[in-house]
Amino acid sequence: MLSHNVIKELTNIVGKDNIQTSKEDLICYSYDATNQKFLPDAVVFPKNVSEISLILKMANSEGFPVVPRGAGSGFSGGSLPVEGGVIVSLERMNKILKIDADNLIAIVEPGAVTGELQWEVEDLGLFYPPDPSSLKFCTIGGNVAECAGGPSAVKYGVTKDYVLGLEVVLPTGEVINTGTQTIKGVVGYDLTKLMVGSEGTLGIVTKIILKLLPLPEATKTMLAVFSDMRDAAAAVSRIISLKIIPSALEFMDKESISCVEEYSSIGLPADVEALLLIEVDGAKELIEKQAESVKKICLDSRAREVRIAGDKKEAKKLWQIRRAISPSLAKLKPNKINEDIVVPRNKIPEAIIGIREIAKKYSLTNANFGHAGDGNIHVNIMIDKTDRGEVARAEEGVKEIFKLVIDLGGTISGEHGIGIFKMSYIGMELSKPAIDVMKKIKQVLDPKGILNPGKIFPE
Amino acid sequence: MKTLKQLSQEINKCVLCGTCRSVCPTFGVVQREPASARGKVALCDAYLNKEIGISEGFIKHMNECVQCMACYAACPNDVNVPDIILAARAEIAKEKGMPFVKSFILENILDSERLMPAAMKFASRLQGLLFKGVPEESGLHRRFPLPLIDERRLVPPLAERFFMDVVADSSAFSTAPTGHPTKGWVGQTTRPRVGFFAGCLINYMLPNIGEASLKVLEKAGASVVVPLDQLCCGMPALGMGDVETAKVLALKNLEAFEKYELDYITTACATCSDGLKRRFKELLSYEGEDVQRRVDKFSSKVRDITELLVNDFGFRISDFGFYKSQISNLKSQIVTYHDPCHLRRGQGIADEPRELIEMSGAKLKEMSHPCRCCGLGGSFNITNYDFSMEINRSKAEDIKNTGADIVATACPGCMIQIKDGLHQLGADTKVVHVVELLADNIDSR
Repeated sequence: MLSHNVIKELTNIVGKDNIQTSKEDLICYSYDATNQKFLPDAVVFPKNVSEISLILKMANSEGFPVVPRGAGSGFSGGSLPVEGGVIVSLERMNKILKIDADNLIAIVEPGAVTGELQWEVEDLGLFYPPDPSSLKFCTIGGNVAECAGGPSAVKYGVTKDYVLGLEVVLPTGEVINTGTQTIKGVVGYDLTKLMVGSEGTLGIVTKIILKLLPLPEATKTMLAVFSDMRDAAAAVSRIISLKIIPSALEFMDKESISCVEEYSSIGLPADVEALLLIEVDGAKELIEKQAESVKKICLDSRAREVRIAGDKKEAKKLWQIRRAISPSLAKLKPNKINEDIVVPRNKIPEAIIGIREIAKKYSLTNANFGHAGDGNIHVNIMIDKTDRGEVARAEEGVKEIFKLVIDLGGTISGEHGIGIFKMSYIGMELSKPAIDVMKKIKQVLDPKGILNPGKIFPE
Repeated sequence: MKTLKQLSQEINKCVLCGTCRSVCPTFGVVQREPASARGKVALCDAYLNKEIGISEGFIKHMNECVQCMACYAACPNDVNVPDIILAARAEIAKEKGMPFVKSFILENILDSERLMPAAMKFASRLQGLLFKGVPEESGLHRRFPLPLIDERRLVPPLAERFFMDVVADSSAFSTAPTGHPTKGWVGQTTRPRVGFFAGCLINYMLPNIGEASLKVLEKAGASVVVPLDQLCCGMPALGMGDVETAKVLALKNLEAFEKYELDYITTACATCSDGLKRRFKELLSYEGEDVQRRVDKFSSKVRDITELLVNDFGFRISDFGFYKSQISNLKSQIVTYHDPCHLRRGQGIADEPRELIEMSGAKLKEMSHPCRCCGLGGSFNITNYDFSMEINRSKAEDIKNTGADIVATACPGCMIQIKDGLHQLGADTKVVHVVELLADNIDSR
């Protein structure tokens, strides 16, 4: 609980219209896309960096937790106030401050919506590639905190590959600038990369300098249908080894496909084992050629069928198949455990086969899909939360899947982050000395442990 | 209608992903979570779990919804948030009673015995005193403070003669042979026989749309009947949480129309057609088997006028080729179309009105975001006027940016709201109903 004085001081900082303490408002800031709820004690909506600095200084002197929050669309609980305290909502700091076409950079506030930045730069013939599936509503600040990625990562990388510099309020309230406005810059340690993906535990980002690219002239979308998952995986490897890097290379397994088929009937044969959704982008003549090559590789890899979208409308239809997976899974079981493991590209078949065996062993309903191009697979275990036995089995299953992934040379989280949901598994992937280094960094920057406590590292 | 408790499974379907934040118009303005569909679902969940009661905050957030259904359409889990919010409003009304503004509207306008009460006629005569006209007779501004009416607001004048009066006095309509208070059967025995449902806004404010509808229906060779004992569709009452009034109105309307052997029941108001088609069934679902049979029969005949003309009557561009000739007075006009929420998302009707625009001879030019809500939201516009107009601003700008001469839509509510918004933006785009475009051409022949 916050004292009356703290509330008064916070009100002085942000103004009375920008602090909420009613139960109704607190409830609306108690959750994120993990569907878990922790009630904060207050929500503030600061307008600028100095207000945030004052809030953090006060948090240090008064000793209350502060949790930064964008759209609350994260999948690991990064914005959940697990120990209560003050939610710093960045919804008001949502401006795109500058788009510089000469230097190919954009400067944005953390609350800016990713999709809106993308559309705005596209109007100028520019391109901001990171495309998490929540791009229409998630914020750049949240993307920076979690180092979000999406289908385009196979060719264009993830958020950290586009952040050139940051303005950050440190947990103690000091404001620092990291990085540069230029592509090059090696002065001192790379604090930008340290901040990106730190899940809101090392500072509150208040300004972000992003690298932009020229917008590719055109894109071409294809769907390849396979009877054997290993053929699909072979096609993925061949495409890449022929030095064609698609701008998206998405994979769907048998279970995902049959779910979608049942849900929206796209007319696929029942014995399909895997689908690949492949997109190439670039100069028109080039992608026509690339699309033909990709088609040939798929057919050579025993694809039963390859559909190439003739226009944008057809491309949208193909993407709809991929996007229909998530909602159609909800028809299997009410709740979903959505893991975002990554394995080296060529280990995907091994990983999928292993995951299926584990699911079978624990009698779990499982569907896998995701970003085959970069080895990032969304492992979905469908459960009924009210079935305690199933929940327990799922926990065991997940642990075993993580072990498999690490044995294959992969990682337990590609783009969602650790938050509170993978805390207990972090030791499976990181050595104790590595975790100790991270904890020391946290200790140096946030000696009182007030910023987003209870995340990443288990007690 | 399902109660909030009965909707708890619907509430549990929400996984709090936040997708609705990208489409919710109230969130678009407020930019804070409680204004989003997700926030409201979370609050309803908390209410059902007894974490909160019917507090001031709960009421405020539940009222801040325009029922545009954009969240429902975008939701990956198909959570029917609009219905959840309606059920919450019903809960609020049950516990707290109707707030002043709303009960004023309900008692004085919507729940009248007739769709043309004396009070409204008196108001119609008085309005010259209360409002001053603005150029081009596009609407009225109030002269003196009036309850419910914001002073900046452009209100369409109450019609000098309400639509139902026009119909009642019209010699074109013979009194129906049934002896019921009605007018119609233009073509006597010709089929199809169509019952016309006027709705409040067409009756009181935009009777031209009603007249244009009758003209077009007649042109299509239909026999039209207008039961004079029809009432408000009840959707405004339902929107305010007054389920009982909505139920009574649904039943009375059922009675008014089922006296005739009708093939179709049609209306030119998207909210009314959505209500008659979908909501009546829900409202009367616990009233016994007999009522259920009656309402099923009634609802199966309901068509929005745009779908009736295109899908049931088979209006085709080729049939109306002459409109494209010089006869069409719309030939050089560019028309843009606004999708009413209750037509596009409520009933899945999007192509039909566009086809009708093309049949009228005008050139259709799409605006960006044609299906973004105009912000009216029924009584939301009266209780939250500034908020409502802020939602409307982007709509008005989208319309202005097309450079179109005319914006057509298929809902009188949207028309009133869009007119107000364009006026405040200083744009002189003409606002019409799709059927008016067609009727204009019938005149010119």
